[in-house]
This record gives sequence, C-alpha cells and structure tokens, in this order.
Amino acid sequence: MWEFIARSLDASTIFTFAALGELINQRSGVLNVGVEGVMLFGATFGFIAAQSTGSYLLGFLLGIAIGGLLGLLHGFFSVTLGADQVVVGMGIWILGFGLTTYIGNPYTGPLGMERIPTILGLSPFFYVGIALVVVSWFVLSKTSLGLRIRSVGENPSVAEVSGIDVTKTRYLCVTIGGMLGGLSGAIYSLFYNPVWNYNFLMGWGFIALALVFFSMWNPLILLGGSLLFGTMWQLSLNPQLVLPGVLSRYIWRTIPFVITIGVLLTMSTKWFRVRWGAARPEALAEPYVKQ
Amino acid sequence: MRIGSYELKLEKRLTLTGWEAAIGSILAIVVALVLFSVIFILAGINPLFAYQEIFSYAFANPYGLPLTINRFIFLLLCTSAFIIPFRAGLWNIGMTGQLYAGALGAFAVLFAFGGRESRTSDLAPEILIPFMLTAAALGGAGLGAIAGFLKGKFNTNEIVVTMMLNFIAFWLVAHMIKEGGPFMNPGGRGESFELPPSVYAPLIMGVPVTIFLALGVAILLYFAFAKTEIGYQIKAYGHSPAAARYAGISTLKIPFLVFSVGGALAGLAGYHYFAAVPGVYKIARNYGYFGDLAFYGIICGLISLGNPLAAIPVALLFGGLSIGGRFVQGKLNMGFGVDYALLGVLMIILVAFQFFYRYKIVWVKTGEERLDVGVYR
Repeated sequence: MWEFIARSLDASTIFTFAALGELINQRSGVLNVGVEGVMLFGATFGFIAAQSTGSYLLGFLLGIAIGGLLGLLHGFFSVTLGADQVVVGMGIWILGFGLTTYIGNPYTGPLGMERIPTILGLSPFFYVGIALVVVSWFVLSKTSLGLRIRSVGENPSVAEVSGIDVTKTRYLCVTIGGMLGGLSGAIYSLFYNPVWNYNFLMGWGFIALALVFFSMWNPLILLGGSLLFGTMWQLSLNPQLVLPGVLSRYIWRTIPFVITIGVLLTMSTKWFRVRWGAARPEALAEPYVKQ
Repeated sequence: MRIGSYELKLEKRLTLTGWEAAIGSILAIVVALVLFSVIFILAGINPLFAYQEIFSYAFANPYGLPLTINRFIFLLLCTSAFIIPFRAGLWNIGMTGQLYAGALGAFAVLFAFGGRESRTSDLAPEILIPFMLTAAALGGAGLGAIAGFLKGKFNTNEIVVTMMLNFIAFWLVAHMIKEGGPFMNPGGRGESFELPPSVYAPLIMGVPVTIFLALGVAILLYFAFAKTEIGYQIKAYGHSPAAARYAGISTLKIPFLVFSVGGALAGLAGYHYFAAVPGVYKIARNYGYFGDLAFYGIICGLISLGNPLAAIPVALLFGGLSIGGRFVQGKLNMGFGVDYALLGVLMIILVAFQFFYRYKIVWVKTGEERLDVGVYR
C-alpha cells in the first residue's frame, strides 16, 4: 500500500510541474495547448543526455533548457508575431510528437542507470514540487511581480499604460512555463518510468492542461488536483488494488480520461461559471497588439 | 528597413486571394522539405537522392503507388473531418478516436452476423458492406457528437475533450481485440478477427471504392460551404458565435452538427483502413500507427486553409510523402519515425507561415525628405 501511495505521489509530481508551468503561462494571458509536446521534448532530450553522459544532473538541465527554448519559440510566435495561440500550441505538440519519435528511437529501452535516491521514501521532486507551488502562489498573489503578471493576463492595454512591459512579462512567463514543462517530462523519463518508447506520455500533457482549467488558476488548488489525478492514474494502472477482477485492465486505463472530461464538464456548467468563472484570465489566448 | 528611397514594411492583409493563399501554402511545403533535408544530411544521406527516392517510390512505383492512393483516401477523409469543425472555428483533433470508433462499428456489424467464427461463411456483401459503412460512420459520429454537444451546451474546451476521447477510444480498441476481447482473433495474436473475403470492399482497378466516397465528400463539402444555408451558418458561427446567435443561428446545433459529421467522416476513414485496404482487412496490432497518421489531417486542413477542394492535392502529396518517407527509412537504413519527423517539421513551418497569411511585406516608396525620421510609429 505504501508503495502505491509513493508511486501516486510521484505521478502527481509530474502533473504538478507541467500544470504549474502552464498556469504561469496562462496567468500572463498566453495559452499553450502543446504542453504534451514540451514534455516529450524535455523527456527525450533529458533521457538521451543522461544516458550518454551518465549524469542525471545534465539530463535534467538539458530537459529544462529545451523546455525553455520551446517556451521562447511559443512566445516568439504568439507574443511577437501575434499568431493564433491554439495553432502555435498544436504546432509545438505535433513537432514534439513527430521529432522525438525519430530522435529518440535509437535510445528505445531502459535508461540503465542507478535510480535516484528517495528522501523519506518519496522522490526528491515531490518536495521540490510542493515548494514550487507555494512559492508560485506567494509570488502570484502577494508580490508586485505577481500583480504585473496577473494584470498582463487580465488586461494588457491597461497594464501597458500603467508602465508594465507586456511583451517582456509574457516572455518571462512562457519561458518559465516551458522550463517547468521540460523538467516535468525529464522527471517522467528519468525517474517515474525510466524507459524510452515512442510517444510514451499518452496524454499526461493534455491532462495537465485540463488541470489548469480545473485549478481556477490557483496554484494551491492545482496541487490538490494533481494529487487527485496522480492517484487516479496510478489506480488505473493497478485496478487490482481496489476492485480485483472487475473490468479488463484496458477499460481501467480509460478512467483518468473519462474523469477529466467529467471535471471539465462540471466546470463549464452555468452554476460553476456564475460562482467561480471570474478566475479565468480575461485576456487568455488573445494576442496583444500595441496601439 | 530602408534601401534607397524605398522602405520595407509589413502590411496587414485585408483579404487573401486564392492565388496568394496557394502560393503561401506551396512555399510553406517547400521550406519544410528544405529544412527537413537537415535530417537526411545528419544521417549521412544526400537529401536530393532521398527526395528522389521518396517521390519515385510514392508516385511512380507499381508497389508504392497503390499504397499512396490508399493513404490518400484515408488522409482526405481525415482532412474533411478536420475541416468541417475548423470552418466553424472549432478544433477537431479527435479524428484518431473517431476512426477507432468507426472501425469498431464496422467490425461490430460483422461480429453480429457471425463473421468472427468462420472466414468462409457466405455473407451477403450487398447487405453487409452498406451496413458496415453506416456503422462506421455512426461510430465516428457518436464519438464526435460527444465533443460537439459538450461544446454547444456547456462551452467545454473541445481540444481537451477530443484528445481525451482519443485515448478512451484507443484503450477501448485494445479491450475489444486483446486478451480475450470479443473481437479477438481466434488465433489469439492480439489483433482482431479477419474479414471474411466475401465482404472485402470492392476494388476498381485495384483501388477500393472508398476513393469515390472521399472525393465525393470533398466536392460536396465545397458546395455545401459555398452555396447552402447551413454552410453559411457554419461560417457565421466560425467568425463569431455571439454574433451568430443574435442572427438566430443555434449555438448548440452548429457545434453538434460539425462534430457529428466530421466524426462520421473520420469513422469512414477507419472503415477504409481496416476493412477496405488490400492486405489489411483486420484491426491490426499496430492500430495506433494508423491513428497517429490521422494527425496529418490537421496539417492538410490547415495548409489548404479549410478549403475541401484544395485538400485533395494536399492529401495526395502528404499521402505520398508519408509512404515514401517510410520507404526510404527502410531502404537507407534510417531510424524509425522518418514519417513522424516529417509530420512535425511540416507542422511547425506551417505555424510560422500563418504570419504571411495575415501580413505581407511591401516596398513603399518614401518621399525625398522624410519628416518623420526618428519618430516612433
């Protein structure tokens, strides 16, 4: 049982990092639907770097770096060129899906390195994740930087008039968002499941995207959501722990996706929107053109 | 940028003529192919030779050409499935799941008529094939309709929903064909039972009849968008759902309709690959590969700017590229996934080219003496 809980927390950590990055992105008004692509890139390059140098640190650093670069690319297209952010996000996802399949293929198989040591039975990333959530919450809601980010996401023209550099703030956020996405992918491929296989994420990035909507753009609720989905994911892999022999294991695999749709649906109902709808950044996915 | 008395400026396009769009799309493909040659160079292969091999295998080889045509039919149906919601401003990235649902529908009909037990049974094709086609369309439409209904009724994000449905359908197929699932091959090889030869889709000169379906749908869609009231309503909703509502267009009906029809077409694509392509005739173990191919439909739809007629040559080209890419990968001993990598490069170049659909670079003649020098505009 303890092992199940530990694995669930490991899975939650991956959701937390990816979704937290996306949350910071969206708070500044930039939507990146390509989280899955960023994660695939971070995971694949992190895996290759770690395996060929034998250093976990280099793996994680490269994962973060490639994620940051993809964030910058997203920023260039959607902030500087003012392109449709959904199109750009789709582009990054399909680029990640296509290119990592080819690049990573020679490395198919297990990582073959000693596992990263745990702290009190849990992955070190779990503690880092919790700390990051608290820091992000504090920065976003209690500091002037956070106010800057939020105002850029709510109403960029007013922010610009009051002396905030919209472009710079958005670039900062997409880069941090990309770095966290890349790191999340690297944690997956270097710690959670250190075996490379093509398109191995199978929807983690898209669930992370849904988690951001679910969190109402609040990092603390996001942490709760990640814990929920991490446990759910782990449960769908090991259904025999709760209901042995009920339904085939393939049907269980659909459960996290069904629940994601259910959660999104609840959040889209009128009741929910009237009560909580104001949380959505007003300028989300709107390109900002300086007048 | 200034050269002499001319200045290079970006100008926002107010309209995009058909020719400008076509030139932009062709340029995007050329740039992507040029960039992609880096992958060949890195693998130590002359890119010109590689492209020559790709195109000659895909379009001029007696083995390659039928594969290309079958891939083309599949891609054209997937592209149409993407374009219909796209014209309404909605993103259907669920063609993958919808085609799985379509394949399951078609095989369910066979299962009900006892097609699993005996491959030799003389099932009447003139009844069963239309049944299978209908079931495939209904299966895909059913999955699409979920996303459309949720979008129309609750404004739920259709990208996340269609993606989630993809994974749900993926695991449902696994459930049906593996580990004792109802459609499992009696030989137990982790794939579905094979079609009895009597219900193979008819071939015309080696090409499945589904080609008429795919081409007919594309032409019909073109006229539906250009001439009919419902086509106009879809476009109006695509420009602004709020404005469309004030004009009396149902904001529930349009998303529901576009996703159902789109899903039905993707379902037919599923029928095509698993029940009409010679040499397949079953839900193969690597069905995930065919599902991934559906993402080429997104690219075809974007590159043809939502025009169903323009999608025909684009789907043919990409069908050939993906078949040829797979071929050179084997012939030149490259790593797995050349066709996937091509998909990714094409997509990101296309994103970059979106910019040129909205802006153009123009030379403006400036006056002899500029009064606005140093003034920021």
